Amino acid sequence: MEKLRKELQHATLLHQTRRHFLQSVGFGLGALGLGTMLDSCGTSSAADSPVGNIAQSRIPQFAPKAKRVIYIHMAGAPSQLELFDYKPELLKYHGKDCPAEFLEGKKFAFIQGVPKMLGPQSHFAQYGQSGAWMSDYVPYLQTVADEITFLKAMHTDQFNHAPAQLLMHTGSPRLGRPSLGAWSVYGLGSENQNLPGFIVLASGGQQPDAGKSVFGSGFLPSVYQGVQCRTGGDPVLYVSDPSGMNRDMRKQTIEAINEINKQTYEDVKDPEILTRISQYEMAFRMQMSVPEVMDVSKEPQFILDMYGVKPGEGTFAMNCLLARKLVENDVRFVQLFDWGWDGHGTSKDHNVEGGLRQKCRESDQPVAALIKDLKMRGLLEETLIIWGAEFGRTPMQENRNGLVMPYMGRDHHLDAFTMWMAGGGVKQGFSHGETDELGYYGTKGRVHVHDLQATILHLMGFDHEKFTYPFQGRNFRLTDTEGKVVKEVLA
Amino acid sequence: MHYILLQDSSWATFIGRFHPAIVHFPIGFLLIGALLELGRRWGKIAVSEGTIVFILFWSAISATFACVAGYLLSLTGGYDADLLNNHMWKGIGVAVFAWAAWFVKSDRFERAIPSIKVIYLPAILIATLLTLTAGHDGGALTHGEGYLTQYTPEPFRGLAGLPPMEEKPTEIKPIADVQQAVVYSDIVQPILQAKCTQCHSASKSKGDLRMDQLALLAKGGENGPAFVVGKGAESDMIKRCLLPENDDEHMPPKGKPQLTTDQIALLSWWIDQGASADKKVSQMTVSEAVKPALASLGKEAPAGTGAAQASAVLSVKVPKANEQAIENLRKTGLIVNTLSQDQNLLEISAVNLPDFTDKQMELLQPVAQQITWLKLGGTKITDAALQQIAKFPNLSKLHIEHTGITDKGIAAIKPLPYLEYINIVDTKVGDEGLKNVAGMKALRSIYVWQSAVTDSAVSQVGRQNPNLLVVNGFNEAAVAQFLKAGDTTGKEEVKKQ
Repeated sequence: MEKLRKELQHATLLHQTRRHFLQSVGFGLGALGLGTMLDSCGTSSAADSPVGNIAQSRIPQFAPKAKRVIYIHMAGAPSQLELFDYKPELLKYHGKDCPAEFLEGKKFAFIQGVPKMLGPQSHFAQYGQSGAWMSDYVPYLQTVADEITFLKAMHTDQFNHAPAQLLMHTGSPRLGRPSLGAWSVYGLGSENQNLPGFIVLASGGQQPDAGKSVFGSGFLPSVYQGVQCRTGGDPVLYVSDPSGMNRDMRKQTIEAINEINKQTYEDVKDPEILTRISQYEMAFRMQMSVPEVMDVSKEPQFILDMYGVKPGEGTFAMNCLLARKLVENDVRFVQLFDWGWDGHGTSKDHNVEGGLRQKCRESDQPVAALIKDLKMRGLLEETLIIWGAEFGRTPMQENRNGLVMPYMGRDHHLDAFTMWMAGGGVKQGFSHGETDELGYYGTKGRVHVHDLQATILHLMGFDHEKFTYPFQGRNFRLTDTEGKVVKEVLA
Repeated sequence: MHYILLQDSSWATFIGRFHPAIVHFPIGFLLIGALLELGRRWGKIAVSEGTIVFILFWSAISATFACVAGYLLSLTGGYDADLLNNHMWKGIGVAVFAWAAWFVKSDRFERAIPSIKVIYLPAILIATLLTLTAGHDGGALTHGEGYLTQYTPEPFRGLAGLPPMEEKPTEIKPIADVQQAVVYSDIVQPILQAKCTQCHSASKSKGDLRMDQLALLAKGGENGPAFVVGKGAESDMIKRCLLPENDDEHMPPKGKPQLTTDQIALLSWWIDQGASADKKVSQMTVSEAVKPALASLGKEAPAGTGAAQASAVLSVKVPKANEQAIENLRKTGLIVNTLSQDQNLLEISAVNLPDFTDKQMELLQPVAQQITWLKLGGTKITDAALQQIAKFPNLSKLHIEHTGITDKGIAAIKPLPYLEYINIVDTKVGDEGLKNVAGMKALRSIYVWQSAVTDSAVSQVGRQNPNLLVVNGFNEAAVAQFLKAGDTTGKEEVKKQ
């Protein structure tokens, strides 16, 4: 082998002529450019910190206001018109035909022909010093009105669940981009070495429609992807040792495997091998730390009462309590998904009257408790809570297949919906944006999904235009080519 | 392809930035060459032809390098396109004519084209003149147009036909009595001065638009009038400000200081109200929408709660921490992060070191200046550690929850000038400790749940320090109270039936 290599070297040198030398001098400038281009392919970025080292943080552009994030996603999309966007005018039009101007050139997921307008199904009042409008569906959230910043004129581009969820979490309606949580851990690093930096908890009986891609790492090294934990039983499947395997033996096994992996890495230099090594090590540490942090039996009874949970449940309320425990242990990004908010009016559970009220009953108290719990632990001012869905719901009643639905329901709506944020760096008791009197379009302070993402990154210290990752020859960012920080909501 | 290739490359920028240094070589060489040529022709000095050829050769070489570096620098953007274009072509001209002068002077073509010598003098003359004007353009690109003559003293100023010197108000001064302010001259004109007239005035009137005088603003530019009297929302100058910043039509151009929402509201309101030159605020109808914007004019700081909340410590400049010291800290298992790119302040966390003790506090001494966020919650530190913490002058956030600290220890940190946040949840600190730190100058929030602090001390300290947030937590009774909120759901449903 060595002999062959030397032979090749010799042959190459024989062919090097003065002409070659001059050529390479002449093209020196081009070579410089080429060097930089290769740089961006990730082959020799010596200046950059090693990818795959999850604890490593990139230095943010600004001092972060939000050190951690809890993102609560109500998959299916609750109706803003029953919860936060109070439209008394809509009640007057209840049962009347939808004006033609709302329908021209529009596409809906299910609405066909001319639907009827649907008045709010809940009772609204103003709460807190800030006078935030909220309905009787969310009586607990009313008690923390002055901690919240509402975004009342959100809008998106996608009217189906999966692409809209992808857009919300990855900045693109198509597969393949890293999620907000992955970007966050890539940016600020993972602090607690015994826990993943990005943990996902799902409730409501089903996974989000867009699947695991909504918390994937896309083209970022896979070490940044969200780790989903189960709320009941073993938090992570197969995390406990099988019977007959003790911890020492497990340790030796993992050390041996990692030794082989390290040798392979030395040979082929694939960064995914580093991910694999660190995940083995993480898994070993998680065997101890995860059951401990996911065990709520040591929480005092009044804390359990505050969230309304019993140990052993796998509910949304339990996930809120776990989210608090995780951020208390310096987990960077906790993503909660709760399924079952798609109130078309097709069944007893999926509508904007009893069904939505029931979903709120299950989630309102723990969300308010989470805000209060974080606050009293001194964590709220450095933890950003985001609440929202992939889109909103129409001011019109759904008329699937031109029929009258069995329950009051609304179709998917992308021109106006409400989200809210609390904690880390956003104003307390504030409302940004307004919709027209029927709640169809945002009229003031419209915030696109990309604007929201730019704002979240800003709160974490990153300029969304400079926070990029080189992939396939160009720098990618969460907000693609769009996005503007919503400065009005920054504290 | 090459453009894209070079645009983002740090190499291109690195070389480009040498342009302002390299350009001085061709300037110097050419001038000395021309000067020697003059002296030689007048017979004042004896210089060999070879010397001049040698100087011309290096003029041409250095001019060529300056061109390449200049081109790379121009890719970084941010320059006035017209001026840049002029400068570039003049610079290339310098190089071309310097090469021409050298070729001719060095007798390389004499045999081929015998009469070529006649272009020698024009070539060296043009190269020299171009050097001077290209150099001037370069100065204008770097320092801004008019930099050279900005401070011309008076007798010469008048002779040169320059307008009288004026102070440019770049910051809008607060107005003492907003109601009595003349809307155009006291509110509108200062906004235009600050954000628009750099490009739309006598010295530079892009798009043929001047915004420095009301009559000229009304007349408009090549795209028509800047505003429609009475219709702010339909006026070109308002519409452009409201376009997305990435839009080509957006004004001010991307990267320049932008108008605030309040400023746009004020301009639009002034147009709505008839774009009068001399009406006062009190003579116009003040709409609800413009009220907050008007109110903000009276204040020193721009409106918004954000300004008050920004941490003072973030403007403190400290030297960069020793790399080795940081590396040593990381080796022990501490997390050490730089707070942001424009500061050297550090965030240090012991989340992975539950066994961190008072003894290890010594390790932090080398970065005492830089520590601003310190998280030692849940470690084994005691009061002794607080003695060390008191020596971190720029500390702004302190997590010492779930530790063994007491009243005795916390008194030590009282003198810290920037400390904003203290978390003493689940410690033995009591009322005395709370009262001790409550008066700290910068302190904004203190969290005392599950400590020895009593409810009465919390409310007393809260009353005495209205700007301080003292947060105690829930107990059983408070949770019971919280749970009552849910009862209304049941009531509402009954009411509905």
